[in-house]
Amino acid sequence: MMPTLAINWTIVGMAAASGMILLLRDWRVTVPALLASYLCVVLFLAQQQFITPDLVFGARTLSTTVVVKLVTGLAASAILAITAITFSREYNLEELDEFSLTELRRAARRAQRQRASEPFRISEYIVPFWALVLVALASLALPRLYPIGSQEVDFAWYWLGLTGLFTIVIAGDMLKIGLGLLLIVSSVDLVYTAVASTVQVFPLALLSLTTIVLALSVAYLSGLLYSRLKTLDLAELYQR
Amino acid sequence: MPYLLLITFPVAIGASCFLLRTQTRLVIALAVATMLAQLALAVFIPVDQPVRLLGLTLNLDPLGQLFLIVVPAVTALMFVTTWRLPHGENYLPIALMIIGLASTIVLLLQEPFVAALLLVSAGLLSVLAIVDLPTGSSLLVEPAVIASALKYLVLMAIAGVLMYMGFILINMYRPGVMPQQVEPPRIVLALLAVGFGLRLAVAPFHSWLPDLVEHAAPMVAALVIIVLNTTGLLFLISVFQFFPVIVAENEHGLALLAWLGALAALAGGLMALVQDRPRRVAGYLVVYNAGMVLFGLATITPAGLAGAVFEAFNQILAVPLLLLSLALLEQPDGRAPNVVRRDLLWRWPVGGAGLLGGGLALLGLPPFSGYASKMLFYDVAARNDIVFLGLLVGATALGLLALARLAHQRLLGAPEDQLVEETPRLLGMTEVDLPVQRRLEREPPVVALAVVLLLAWCLAIGLYPQPLLAMITDMIRGLTFVREL
Repeated sequence: MMPTLAINWTIVGMAAASGMILLLRDWRVTVPALLASYLCVVLFLAQQQFITPDLVFGARTLSTTVVVKLVTGLAASAILAITAITFSREYNLEELDEFSLTELRRAARRAQRQRASEPFRISEYIVPFWALVLVALASLALPRLYPIGSQEVDFAWYWLGLTGLFTIVIAGDMLKIGLGLLLIVSSVDLVYTAVASTVQVFPLALLSLTTIVLALSVAYLSGLLYSRLKTLDLAELYQR
Repeated sequence: MPYLLLITFPVAIGASCFLLRTQTRLVIALAVATMLAQLALAVFIPVDQPVRLLGLTLNLDPLGQLFLIVVPAVTALMFVTTWRLPHGENYLPIALMIIGLASTIVLLLQEPFVAALLLVSAGLLSVLAIVDLPTGSSLLVEPAVIASALKYLVLMAIAGVLMYMGFILINMYRPGVMPQQVEPPRIVLALLAVGFGLRLAVAPFHSWLPDLVEHAAPMVAALVIIVLNTTGLLFLISVFQFFPVIVAENEHGLALLAWLGALAALAGGLMALVQDRPRRVAGYLVVYNAGMVLFGLATITPAGLAGAVFEAFNQILAVPLLLLSLALLEQPDGRAPNVVRRDLLWRWPVGGAGLLGGGLALLGLPPFSGYASKMLFYDVAARNDIVFLGLLVGATALGLLALARLAHQRLLGAPEDQLVEETPRLLGMTEVDLPVQRRLEREPPVVALAVVLLLAWCLAIGLYPQPLLAMITDMIRGLTFVREL
């Protein structure tokens, strides 16, 4: 009989979801991919049971920590999704002077022109693609060079951390930077839960809180940028 | 439990101030009173009496107590100046929250995971202060301000993650158990060096600081530098204290860090010299100073460490002095705007003197407060390697040249507003025919008083550093990782 290769589908799902965040640009894909990545991490932790389960759901047992991570992932993804949908911290127009109003109108026109002249170009995906290839190679090599936990854990956290890092490096808009940061925090969260000799509840809770505050900060800055320049494009931000 | 009061008091008042934020004067009075109460609390609180709460150990060591006394004193003075200086609507509530978080970090130094995350949270909170606008402002947030806030957010989050990762590795490290090729203490030191390098703005991880100083309100930049960077330094010292293996197994790594510190100071001085805008010069002088502090710390000697701690306290005085003076010099002064002025010392004597004094204090020139710490650094450098001494003295010389250039270009030019001789009235001339009399504004007394007080403190500590130095040396003696040269 042929030997069967044991594939951990939660890790495959997590790798695919975070890979999509690195590769694609549309928030309609990347924000749900972030949620999928969080769900896969939660499933992986539930499957491996690094922390003794203390909750019973029918035939399944879960740790409270895993539930907290699920709630954190849902909250962070929801914050970014709502931000992407609304994108506004609108100024009180009555309080603005004439110069500021003119500046806002000019920014809106510029953003509209930019959107109109922005066709789909395959060349824009070349750098993210090769970055993804690099992440894949590094995530396979690093667990052998610098092992910290089991091979599965090492691959998962290296992959998450590296996709997050490369997402920040190649990000073209503010929301994508936020997604990259959240992936990096998720990676550290995973490795701490999986390998720390004594997992304390307080640091884990604070890490979840930090994740949500980070998502809120990115959402606030995104709203501020959009209401100022009518775009989240970083090129516009640094052009001036 | 007095330790809890140190944490919750500023946070609770900060929340109240947020609700009252449109009542500017009431909020300022409340914030100043809170800082004075916090100062009194820190003076009378018992030291080195650890308590357990929610599985965490809270403790206040003498170094932390000194920090909790000096920071509220200086921030109270900064808060007073908001009476006249323009500031964001949420500046005071956020500042109080940040001070509450900083107090928590100082009390939780034995809990590195929590302290690292609190440092990140405080950084994220300060992003809100950076992009803040005054109540009812008719202006828009400048894109450059948003860009600085974004850069700060990303770098602080990465710094926190690197620190956290370092603590995970050191937490799981058991000598002889981990595979040899990993060498955790080295990796941990590398992670901590980059993480704290970003936090303390040591070159080449400094890029957020000059941008922040240039684009954010001066008081926001001062708050971030004096509260969060100093807390970061105390945290780093406590990490060395609680994980001595990082020091013990990293002799070469620490030597490398000392070189990095000296070179970073040199790079800071050089970059300060090539800047044209006063705010960027100030920013790079802080970067220079961060390099000096890193050098002192990395030598792990009593003198180097005492110098680093003394320099951190010098920075708490010198940076607000420098930035408040800059805010004063940037005030509209009744003259035509958008013209580069070269006579600012004569136009704003207190602001000009404060800028020079703050710069000299950062550079450690006598008789200002940085003098004692810089002498300690030079002493350690001379005993270590003469090249170190050359680098440090060269860095200071470059910084001094940068300050001299700034003074020459902006402060010491001939007064541009000469007294105009009164034009004799001719027959048939009316009031309308006479040239408009310009009314030049005076320096706002509240801000000028704050600058004078800070300058006086810098001079007093510079002329008589022995009590503070003796206190710091005494505290350093209690650290187990320090070694004699």
